[in-house]
Amino acid sequence: MLRKLINPWTAWLSFLGIILLGGLAAGIMVFWKGLGITNLTDRVPWGLWITIDLSSIALGAGAFSLCAGVYLFGLKRYQPIARTATFVGLIGYTMATLALILDIGKPERFWHSMVYWNTHSLLWEVTMCVILYLTVLLFETMPILANLEWLRRRLPKVASMMERVHHYAPILAIIGLGLSSLHQSSLGATYGVIKARPFWFKPEMSVLFMFSAIVGGISLTLFATMLSSRLTNKAKTNDVLIERVAQFVGYLLIGYFYFRAWDALSTTYTYDPGRNEGLHFLTKGPFAFNFWIVEMLLGMIVPMILLLYKPTRMNRFWRMVALLLVAAGVVAFRWDTNITGQLVLMSYIPGAAITYTSYRPSLIEILAGAAIIAYGLTTFSLGVKYLRVVDHSLVETEHETVKVEATEPVTI
Amino acid sequence: MSPKTLNRREFLKLTAVGVAVAAGTRAVTSTKASSSAPKGTHQWAMVIDQSKCVGCGYCTLACQAHNDINPDIQWNKVSEVDMVADKHVFLPRPCMHCEKAPCVEVCPVEASYYRDDGIVMMDYDRCIGCRYCQIACPYEARSFNWEKFTGKNPAVPEWGTPEVERRPRGVPEKCSFCYQRIDRGLALGLKPGLDADASPACVVACPTGARIFGDLNDPESNVSKALHENPSYRLRDNLGTGPRVYYLPAVAKKEA
Repeated sequence: MLRKLINPWTAWLSFLGIILLGGLAAGIMVFWKGLGITNLTDRVPWGLWITIDLSSIALGAGAFSLCAGVYLFGLKRYQPIARTATFVGLIGYTMATLALILDIGKPERFWHSMVYWNTHSLLWEVTMCVILYLTVLLFETMPILANLEWLRRRLPKVASMMERVHHYAPILAIIGLGLSSLHQSSLGATYGVIKARPFWFKPEMSVLFMFSAIVGGISLTLFATMLSSRLTNKAKTNDVLIERVAQFVGYLLIGYFYFRAWDALSTTYTYDPGRNEGLHFLTKGPFAFNFWIVEMLLGMIVPMILLLYKPTRMNRFWRMVALLLVAAGVVAFRWDTNITGQLVLMSYIPGAAITYTSYRPSLIEILAGAAIIAYGLTTFSLGVKYLRVVDHSLVETEHETVKVEATEPVTI
Repeated sequence: MSPKTLNRREFLKLTAVGVAVAAGTRAVTSTKASSSAPKGTHQWAMVIDQSKCVGCGYCTLACQAHNDINPDIQWNKVSEVDMVADKHVFLPRPCMHCEKAPCVEVCPVEASYYRDDGIVMMDYDRCIGCRYCQIACPYEARSFNWEKFTGKNPAVPEWGTPEVERRPRGVPEKCSFCYQRIDRGLALGLKPGLDADASPACVVACPTGARIFGDLNDPESNVSKALHENPSYRLRDNLGTGPRVYYLPAVAKKEA
């Protein structure tokens, strides 16, 4: 009896459960005691949780990119991957919402951003877009949620209604593309407009965030798809599809690598006090390992080679390694950008030297952060097992490009 | 087109409904201006004469008492910045009350806003505590309430009595040019900058008269005259924030 209960699945869920419990305790502590129990300060007010927030939005970007590809650019055969991406997106955006609720000082006022509009604020725009896009994602995942056995048996009508939402997929893809382009870029611009901190203050910040999100989002979706097909027979994949998209990621990486390298290294073209110091901090200071090794080498160059060199791309193990590295590299980019900009301190005192501060997340921040990630993993695991989230054998009904005969000749 | 697909008319209808809902919410809630500072009859400004400042810190203490500030937080911070002819030079830093304030621009909920008289105000009841304003402020003028201030205020009663409510946990706070003193003074027919009861607590507390407060719109005010007669500078002026706190450098002044 007991032996039956102990299998990899239950062990995995229990492991996640423990992390979730730890995070729950940490979360309750934060709501009760306030943010004073974190290591955040007036000089570094945005820490680990913001990085998790930025990263989960970035890695959820596979949803809009792949949906746009499938429904707008006519790459219909990749639809099963877009389906997985949508679910990953939903998870990513709910993770971001969780992180934000923890992070704001007045969580009970979260709704203020919906009611009190400051249209000048990038953060307002991001919040609105995220809320609206989360709604779009909910609609987009309806057909997936309709796969729940329980729902099909108990409420067959509701289930079939939810399935029919699929017919609106192209329209949802258009709205999703618009909203995502807005807030993925605006997340970068959130930093890019801060003239007080020259290291951030540059227009390309938004483009970099957008580009890295597309690369990282698609990679994570492919990785999650491959991993689940390796671990469970609940996931059925068509490796040809994954391989082709992975090659596309390889090409995207060339662009991302060029852009990120140019962005960082051209910092030296202009001098504003604080700008080169930030670059120095990133390339030679405490973030050098992150920048050169995690972001550049492991996050871009190695996976670029692995995904563009056919033998390694065809090898599933190396392809998975490459995709995971890309996602990790994007997370590192978010972390480096967010933290470096805050650690380089520009004084308001005329002529004062630039100073540096430091930040290390506290145990509470790590526990809560880990739980947010564990929530994502749990939801995805349950989705694979019960909702056929990764199932390339599922063929959805035709929903677009129906040929229409002209009833009368057109004259101009 | 398949019959299940949304047709153009339905799509437009949905869009129209969405826009109407959005406009409705906006109409209900739009109370404050945010795009740029509207010019009222007064434009309050402060001039700090660094040749007179001796770094005693009385201004900070008066500020702590009148605004009932947690001792961990300083709205008005005095730093020693230089030496000129064997004399220490200090730089007191209140909120700059910028003409184009980064904090107002970035606040997602318009909790930071401009008053007609140029004061950059905080609506502590609206703020969600995201701390974007702290990230954006070039002057480190904002401090977050990481914890609730419950204890006794050590500056009270020696340096004054509290005139405003304590801020709750979870919102950033900053100098308000003692708006409560200005508003009350004006209601009593007093002149801010000239009458102590209508001027910011730091201006009143300064023993050397290093702080001048007044109306930039009035050419006869102390600040207008001081700025007209002396070379002055503003902090991080190159950012284009347009601070309303001006400094008279210590180097340019001779002993009077």
